[in-house]
Amino acid sequence: MTHSAKPIQLPFVFRSAAVLVSILLLTFSAAAQGKSAHKSRRSSAAKTPAPAPVRAVNAEEMQALLRRDGKRPLLVNYWATWCDPCRDEFPDLVKIDRDYRAKGLDFIAITLDDLSDINTAVPRFLLTMNAKMPVYLLNVADPEPAINMVDSNWSGALPATFLYDSSGKVVYKHFGRVNPGELRAAIEKLVGTKQ
Amino acid sequence: MKKLAAISLLITLLAVALLVNARTPVADIPAPPIIGATIADFTLPDAGGASHTLASLRGSKGTVLIFIATQCPVSNGYNERMEKLAQDFKARGINVIGINANSTESAADVKDHAAKNNLTFTILKDNGNKVADQLGATRTPEAYFLDASNKLLYHGRIDNSRDITQVNSSELRDALEAALAGKPVAKATANAFGCSIKRGGE
Repeated sequence: MTHSAKPIQLPFVFRSAAVLVSILLLTFSAAAQGKSAHKSRRSSAAKTPAPAPVRAVNAEEMQALLRRDGKRPLLVNYWATWCDPCRDEFPDLVKIDRDYRAKGLDFIAITLDDLSDINTAVPRFLLTMNAKMPVYLLNVADPEPAINMVDSNWSGALPATFLYDSSGKVVYKHFGRVNPGELRAAIEKLVGTKQ
Repeated sequence: MKKLAAISLLITLLAVALLVNARTPVADIPAPPIIGATIADFTLPDAGGASHTLASLRGSKGTVLIFIATQCPVSNGYNERMEKLAQDFKARGINVIGINANSTESAADVKDHAAKNNLTFTILKDNGNKVADQLGATRTPEAYFLDASNKLLYHGRIDNSRDITQVNSSELRDALEAALAGKPVAKATANAFGCSIKRGGE
């Protein structure tokens, strides 16, 4: 991934001050957001429908989920509730789902949690995230065929994110926590321009 | 006018701060060595700070390097299995070495974790993920089995499931047994889901 725009070089003092100011502002805004999210969750708990139940799929069923019919691009995120960077990036993914679903992006999240967590830890997490995308739990005795089917260069490290165009070709992939700006730019290329 | 200048300065500062703070994407992790490649010697400290080389730690019949974590539930699911592997093969000439390359886990964390989980094999702290890069490691747990001359014979998962009751293929153990029996390793790579290694830049 290349960055064409070079950051402006400022004297160190300015940079440090800027970083400090930004950290302070980000901290405050994050705290405020957290507060308001908490509030709204409480007040609208009765009205907000629970996310759709998480469905367990085997490798073949997962493969069918990834198939494209030439109409809509697809974003797939592999995650688990036990995976720290997965949890960290999830709010960004929920926002991306909210921003791009109406513009034509499909998004599914596939969890590698244990089957025993399918009605407990997984939906609980999705509820706190206010996640609306369909979520599936990959339930396989041997994970290797599924990993290789998705990408032969993937070790199985979580999280992993893949963006397919409407023909099913991978146009963007990222192992580890996503960079939301980079992912959004890749999505924009697929949904931003109407042919 | 002064106010306007102050505001525009603030906005500029913010924009610059965002640019400076923006995490550059993780540089592509080097590809792992191919099976059969010879792994070059390396030097890393253990959790107590003592320095070790691969040459000083390797077994007479081979060496298993396993990237592990203190926080990852998948890696932790394998603590007992890794310790048993180390015990089972020590007398047979194969040494098991743990490597912690997570920038988020300190040498002190590694030491505490090993003590709490009765891990007796040597665990190295790969600061700056130098060896993780050398081996193209991305996940915990992720194992590499080297023969007596440091040639890579197996790379991948320990077995098929972090839930010990679901294990039905133990590729790492099979590779060790094959090598000790002088046979080729039937399955030289196998993957499983695990935690991403948290490299320094992330």
